[in-house]
Amino acid sequence: MFRTTSDCVFEVDEGCLPVNHEHTHHLMKTKSSSRSELPPKSGSKRSENKQRIRKAILKAALYLFSKQGFYKTTTRQIAKKARIAEGTMFNYFHTKEDLALYFFEQELVGLMDWYHLESDLEDAPLVEKLFGIINHHLERISPYEDFVGAVYLRSLQVKSKLSPLGLERREQALRYLRFIKEILEEAVEKKEIPDKLVEFGPYGVGLFHLAIITYWLNDCSTGKENTLALLDRCLKMGHSMLFKQGGWDW
Amino acid sequence: MKERWTESAIGRGMSLGKLGLKLTGSYLGYQFQELFLNEEAKKESQSRFRRNTCRQLKDELLALKGPMMKLGQALSMQDHILPKEMVEELSALQMQAPGMHPSLARAQFKASLGKVPEEIFAKFSPEPFAAASLGQVHKATTKDGRLVAVKIQYPAMASAIRNDFKLFRSANFAARIPGDVIDEVEQGILTETDYLHEAENIRFMHRGLSPLSFVHTPEVLEQWTTNRVLTMTFVEGAPLASFLSKKPDIKMKNELGAHLFELFLFQIYVIKALHADPHPGNYLFTADGEISLVDFGCVRRFSKKFADLVECFLKQSWLEGEKSFDKMMRLMWAPGVSVNDKKARAILQNEIDLINMVFPCAEGQLMNFADSEIFKRGARRNTDIFLARLAQPEFPFYERAEVGLYTYLRQLEASLDTKNILCKVMRKRLAPTRVE
Repeated sequence: MFRTTSDCVFEVDEGCLPVNHEHTHHLMKTKSSSRSELPPKSGSKRSENKQRIRKAILKAALYLFSKQGFYKTTTRQIAKKARIAEGTMFNYFHTKEDLALYFFEQELVGLMDWYHLESDLEDAPLVEKLFGIINHHLERISPYEDFVGAVYLRSLQVKSKLSPLGLERREQALRYLRFIKEILEEAVEKKEIPDKLVEFGPYGVGLFHLAIITYWLNDCSTGKENTLALLDRCLKMGHSMLFKQGGWDW
Repeated sequence: MKERWTESAIGRGMSLGKLGLKLTGSYLGYQFQELFLNEEAKKESQSRFRRNTCRQLKDELLALKGPMMKLGQALSMQDHILPKEMVEELSALQMQAPGMHPSLARAQFKASLGKVPEEIFAKFSPEPFAAASLGQVHKATTKDGRLVAVKIQYPAMASAIRNDFKLFRSANFAARIPGDVIDEVEQGILTETDYLHEAENIRFMHRGLSPLSFVHTPEVLEQWTTNRVLTMTFVEGAPLASFLSKKPDIKMKNELGAHLFELFLFQIYVIKALHADPHPGNYLFTADGEISLVDFGCVRRFSKKFADLVECFLKQSWLEGEKSFDKMMRLMWAPGVSVNDKKARAILQNEIDLINMVFPCAEGQLMNFADSEIFKRGARRNTDIFLARLAQPEFPFYERAEVGLYTYLRQLEASLDTKNILCKVMRKRLAPTRVE
């Protein structure tokens, strides 16, 4: 059976953010320590080596995806480009979809790292922070636009690992939601938004983020400036509809 | 007015729809009331109704911000087709785009130039120092140390304007305005969204005004200019209010007034083009009486016909005989418009009065611009011309610049030897540095 839309997208059973101890622990962390959510940095050489090979494979794959497209690229070609045996490749990624998942995970980690280091956004209002995050995400993925577009289409198939319904995406979704929740909590502290919003706010932001990427993929304007305008106007309008005088009654 | 946010097209549509409802609502109320009112009360009520409606229109446009403001402003220049009350309310509008936070300004800069400002400039101020037509202006320093102003346009303005005009055409109050006027206004505003067009205006005016040593205009830095981003050298100066706040002596005020007057005459008689946006932020003044011009989105170059007309006005050539009078008629009236001789002569007589006032006959006599009479005469002349449907396309621009000039001169309380300044300009016209 299908659940509500927001549940489907992020595959969270409770309909709100998980409350187990591990997660609350994450949420209570300070800004700087949240980078520990990156893949574990083990001291062992073997694990470091593994990470390096993963990244090399992803780099080779992205190159081929952008050159000849997602569908036409085979795992054999990727292995060849990354200079590893096809069997070795299989140890890391079973399918191209696994690669795509890894790509999005890396992007998410990169996005969160960027945000935590971006001092300009630290004191910015919530609207600008969310603008900055979504816009930076678009900038990051813009070299791989075709690939991202193909992955989006693929993810519409329910049986695909990339589907928002897939279990594989659950971990990523949770990480994203926690990241946004942290930002909303900062906004609550600054009395920019009411605290009631922290529970479901991240889902709203997530859906909006996905919608903007979809629009961005279809935006043919110069420098994709239509997306910039849409992003800015929606955020401002959403903010004022929800929080300004005459808006939503909290 | 309570702040309303209607940033999306849907929001704008709804807001305009609401305006329609309000107009209809209050019009119905008025119709109903009329049954019970006597003649005098009726007249008063009619005027009040129109003024209320116009105020509503202005408030709606203010709430919409962005391009609709521009539309209101442009319509306010078409005062020969709109009722007086409406024009008064609409003239209060200032062109303004939604503000951009630093992240958006940076993103729009990158979308247009492919690089972020920090990669191009040695220093770039993330906060704007001025609002500009459809965007905002940031200060920056180039890597070779030049101080520049970077004008960044709010993203997707042109398409927003097209959408707004679609909505506007469907709004009921627009039905009273001729379609071709709306088309022309739309085209005019769309031209302003193209900063390359403005860059061309800056180059033209910079070249044209170079013989006037007391006028400073920016230079375009082409490598960092696109249709959405305009980079130009920074010109020094402060608005008139802050010039006056330093309590300059009367000599200095007269000198500045003379410069302003010469600048205006030089534009209409020598380069035959006008900087037609005398907004207080666009004319900047230095403490030693020099003028810096900024914002060249609204520069109007005269057609041959209009340039001839301006010339004929100055020479009062229609008094030379019937033939000259006929020529004047042809220059003034659009083809197919017939105006009777009596009316035409009355308009021209007004013009003579005005010219005689600005340029007194006696040699060395000073014209005191602190007097408000010139405004009244000027306004009457302009109304007459518009009422006679004389409005050549350049006329609203000419009028705007002229009214702006007189406003500045009045604030300066300047007394000028206008004739002498005119002679000076005419001499410069004959000089070999003439601009084609």
